[in-house]
Amino acid sequence: MEGASYARMPRVKIRELKDDYMKFELRDTDASVANALRRVMISEVPTVAIDLVEIEVNSSVLNDEFIAHRLGLIPLTSERAMAMRFSRDCDACDGDGQCEYCSVEFHLRVKCITDQTLDVSSKDLISSDHTVTPVDVPGGDASIESDGRGIIIVKLRRGQELRLRAIARKGIGKDHAKWSPAATVTFMYEPDIHINEDLMESLTLEEKKEWVDSSPTRVFDIDPVTQQVMVVDPEAYSYDDEVIKKAEAMGKPGLIEITAKQDSFIFTVESTGAVKASQLLLNSIEILKQKLDAVRLSEDTVEADDQFGELGAHMRGG
Amino acid sequence: MNAPDRYERFVVPEGTKKVAYERDTKIINAASFTIEREDHTIGNILRMQLHKDPNVLFAGYKLPHPLQYKIIIRIHTTSQSSPMQAYNQSINDLDKELDTLKSGFEAELLKFSKDY
Ligand SMILES: [Zn+2]
Repeated sequence: MEGASYARMPRVKIRELKDDYMKFELRDTDASVANALRRVMISEVPTVAIDLVEIEVNSSVLNDEFIAHRLGLIPLTSERAMAMRFSRDCDACDGDGQCEYCSVEFHLRVKCITDQTLDVSSKDLISSDHTVTPVDVPGGDASIESDGRGIIIVKLRRGQELRLRAIARKGIGKDHAKWSPAATVTFMYEPDIHINEDLMESLTLEEKKEWVDSSPTRVFDIDPVTQQVMVVDPEAYSYDDEVIKKAEAMGKPGLIEITAKQDSFIFTVESTGAVKASQLLLNSIEILKQKLDAVRLSEDTVEADDQFGELGAHMRGG
Repeated sequence: MNAPDRYERFVVPEGTKKVAYERDTKIINAASFTIEREDHTIGNILRMQLHKDPNVLFAGYKLPHPLQYKIIIRIHTTSQSSPMQAYNQSINDLDKELDTLKSGFEAELLKFSKDY
């Protein structure tokens, strides 16, 4: 029964790591796995988001459903989500979706009593669970400007009031994008760039400059000392073929050869803040493993089939 | 409104099997696997992993219709293997690959947070 293993041994290398951003290299695997990870990160890693809103008082300028929709889109810290239950298969509350295993309750009570416009923001949401709160916008990154006021939900003028109860539930991006923990996840093939040195040296400095400048992104440059063309940033290449076309136009086909390495990928992961970028990748691996496990045929099915399957098929087929 | 529930896309309805397979009646060692509530994510990785198996003569998948939330994987193997054996083997191999990836990433994460 045990067949030979054809499992690969992928390697990872982190290049940049922040709470809400990560760049890493993935090697020794193929595009199908890279793409599966990307797809799972975007649409199948669970988070918590507001899913039910009961409005008590709303005298703001926005209607009830408009506010409910805005509340749903606020990212909530979701480290707990992997361990939580989906409301639809929670037996503690019989699918009611309001118990501690599958939901988190929020309250919001704001009234404007001055002549100054009052901003109602995600900071005004009071959570029943301190691990699930609206995300703090800048993820420890001082370069992103933040006024520390949270995400604005609605603005109130004197006398206007908003009072509501909201239930946040576990969900996935496939259900509704509000549950997606990923702002963007992308991967690119690592480019392999080869310059034909002999042909390159047949160019004048002027021609070299012209050729280098034909790339819309800064991939090449000229060494000020040796006046040789060098690759400064291979990953800036966007597979646009501009330098190849330029070489041909200059009568130097084959001056440059650029191929995509089929087993090396450069990923960028940006999180909404619901989970850390690094955790997002770990969760996606876990989810993908669970998905694979769910589609596995049971051992006895395979064995029974090995014995009788072929015979049965031939009897059925006649 | 008659819009189907959104969860229809990923919750297997009661009484339906997640995976069902049917052997080909004419070709020996060929079978089609119908996987409910899965898409390109699973279809493509399984197909590519099956291609690594030298006993697999053919492996392909299709998503018959975007509103039918299932995929069909077709596998044809040599007599040294069987479609079911190759199918499970590919899942086990992918599972192993993801284990390697996970431990590799965790080690890298530890190293990275120490270094910087
Ligand atoms: Zn519950």
